[in-house]
Amino acid sequence: MTIFTVAVKYLRARTVASVLTALSITLGVSLVIASVLLTRGIKEGFVEGTTDYNLVVGAKGSPTQLVLSVVFRMDVATPNILTRTFRDLQEDPRVEVAVPVALGDAFQGFRYVATAPAYFASFPWRQKKFSLSEGRFFRDDAPDRPTYEALLGFETARRTGLRVGDRFYEGEEMAEYPLTVVGILRPTRSADDRAIFFSLASFWGMNEIARRMPIKPLTAVLVRAKRMSDLPSLNRQLNVSTETQSVFPSAVLLTIFNLLVVVEEALAVMLAIVAVIVLLYVFVSMYGATLTRRREIATMRALGARRGTVLAIVLAESSTLAIAGGVAGLVGGHVVAYVGASVLAARSVQVANPLLFGPLEPAVLGSVILLGILAGMLPAVLAYRTEVEENLAPLS
Amino acid sequence: MIARPAVVLRSVKKSFPLRDGKTLEVLDIEGLSLPVRSCTVLRGRSGSGKTTLLNLIAGVSVPTAGTIHVDGTEIFALPEARRDRFRAERLGYVFQTFNLLSALSALENVMLSMMFADAVPKREQRRRAADLLAGLGLASRLSHKPQQLSRGEQQRVAIARALANDPPVLLADEPCASLDATTAREVLAVFLAVCREAEKTLLMVSHDDSVIGEADRVLDIAEINSAAGRNGSRGR
Repeated sequence: MTIFTVAVKYLRARTVASVLTALSITLGVSLVIASVLLTRGIKEGFVEGTTDYNLVVGAKGSPTQLVLSVVFRMDVATPNILTRTFRDLQEDPRVEVAVPVALGDAFQGFRYVATAPAYFASFPWRQKKFSLSEGRFFRDDAPDRPTYEALLGFETARRTGLRVGDRFYEGEEMAEYPLTVVGILRPTRSADDRAIFFSLASFWGMNEIARRMPIKPLTAVLVRAKRMSDLPSLNRQLNVSTETQSVFPSAVLLTIFNLLVVVEEALAVMLAIVAVIVLLYVFVSMYGATLTRRREIATMRALGARRGTVLAIVLAESSTLAIAGGVAGLVGGHVVAYVGASVLAARSVQVANPLLFGPLEPAVLGSVILLGILAGMLPAVLAYRTEVEENLAPLS
Repeated sequence: MIARPAVVLRSVKKSFPLRDGKTLEVLDIEGLSLPVRSCTVLRGRSGSGKTTLLNLIAGVSVPTAGTIHVDGTEIFALPEARRDRFRAERLGYVFQTFNLLSALSALENVMLSMMFADAVPKREQRRRAADLLAGLGLASRLSHKPQQLSRGEQQRVAIARALANDPPVLLADEPCASLDATTAREVLAVFLAVCREAEKTLLMVSHDDSVIGEADRVLDIAEINSAAGRNGSRGR
C-alpha cells in the first residue's frame, strides 16, 4: 500500500463523483486546447495560405472582400474587371509577373478557378510550390478553342472522389461540355487544395454556353513587381482608376489578425471563467469527500498515520483527478480542434496543424495539475488538522 | 530480572476546556502500570474516562499533566511525527465500532497499518496481512469490502489490523459492544487467544463477565481515577 494506492481506492469508492469531477476538468482543458489550437491554426492557416504576389488587382469595392475571395476563397467574388486590365499590367515595365484569375461557380462546394499556367509556375521569389500527385497541368488553350481540362486541388479530389480521366459538370446546360480531370495537385496547405482549376478559355467558353455571355471577364490579377520601389506608384495608379483597386494582401492579413486579437481576448476571458468554475467544482468535490470521511481520517491517524500522510492522500486524490482529466482533455481538445478544423475547412477556412503537439500541451497539463493541487489544498489542510479524539468518539 | 512494565502512567491528568471558560477534569490518575504480557480489563460506568485513558496511552490525546511510558518510551516527550510512527509500530488499537476504511478491502485495511510503520518489509506485507486474516478465519474474505462483511467479520479484520505490525501493546475499547452475544463471545475468544499466543500486553475496556474471568487483572476506573469521584460520570 502506498499513499497513491489509498488515494486511487478512495477515488474508485466514489466513482460517479470522481468521473464527473474528472469530466469537468476534461471539458475545461478540451475547451482551452481546442480554442488555442483553432485560433493559432486559423492564423497560421492565413499565413500559409497567403499569396507570394505583391498586389491583388480587382474591381473597386472592399479590399478585404477582394483578398478573401481571390486568395482565400472565403467570400463572394468581387465584380469583374476587363481583360484589358490584365494586358496593360502584362505590358507594364514595372511588372515582373501578372497572373489573371477568374472565379466561377462551384462543383459540390469546390470553387472553379480559371487562370493561366503561370499561376502554378515556380519563381525564385516564390515560396509556394505546386506539384502533381497524378496526371498533368491543363493546357493553355487558345480563347476560341477551349479544351475543358480540369486540374483538381488535393482536397477536391479526395472529397469528390474524382480521378484523372473522369468527366464532370455543374448544370444541365454544361452536360455536352463536361470538364475532364487531367491532373491532381499535391497538398499546398492553402485554399488551392479545395479548388478546381482550368484555363480562362474553358471558363469563357462555359460562360458563353451557360449564360450566353459573350464578354471575357476576369475577377482579379495577381501582380509581382520587378522592384519593391515600383510598388507604391503601381498601387497608386491602379487605385486612381475608376474601375480597379489594388490591394496589398499583407495589409488585409494584418486587418484580419487585428480582428482575431479581439476574438482571442474575449476567448481568454471566457477560458479564465471556465478555469475558475472547474477549480471550484474540484474544490467542492474534494471538500465534501474529506468532510464525509473525517472519522476514517481520524482512524488512520490513530493507526499511526502522520498528519502529512493524510494531507498527501487528499492531495494525491486531487492531483490524480487533475492528471486524468488533464490528459483526457488534451486528447479531447485535439479531437475537437481536428473536427473544428474539418468543419471550418468545409467553409473554406484553412486551419494549420490542428493535431500538432507542442509546448502548449505540457504547459496546460502542468497548470491543470497545479490547479488540482490548489483545489485540493484546503480539503487536505482540513484532513491535516483532523483531531483524532474529536472524530473517533463512539457512534451512538 | 524483573521485566519492565509495558505501560506506566505517573500523575496523569486530562482536562477539557468548557464553553464558559472553565475546564472539566475527566482524568486524574496518580499511578498505573501494566505488566508486560498481561491481560488487563478496564471497566467502569459510561463516561467515567475509560476511552480517554486509552486515547492517552495511544498518544492520540495529550495529557494536561503527567507522564506516560509505553514500552519504555515516554511518548509525549516525542515530537508528534515520531509519536505517530511510535504508535504505528508499538501500539495496536481495536475500536468499538471497528472503524474499517470503507474504500479498502479486508486485506487492504490490514495492509494500511503496515504502510504507516517500517515494521514489515513491503514485499511481505500482503502475505502477512493474508496470514493474519486467515488465522482469524477470514481466508475467504480477503477481497471483501467492510460493507460486504458481517459485524463479527469486520471486528476480526480490525483485530488483524491491530496486530499487523506485531506491536507489543494492544488497546481495545469495548471491542464487542456492538456485536450480538454469540458473535461477541466468538470474537473475544479469538482475540484473547491471539493475544496470549503472541504474548501481547492487552488493555481492554469491557463489561463482559466472560472476559473479566479470562483477565489477569481487572481495574475499575473509579478506583484509579480521582477525577471520576469529583465530577461524576462526565468523562468520555
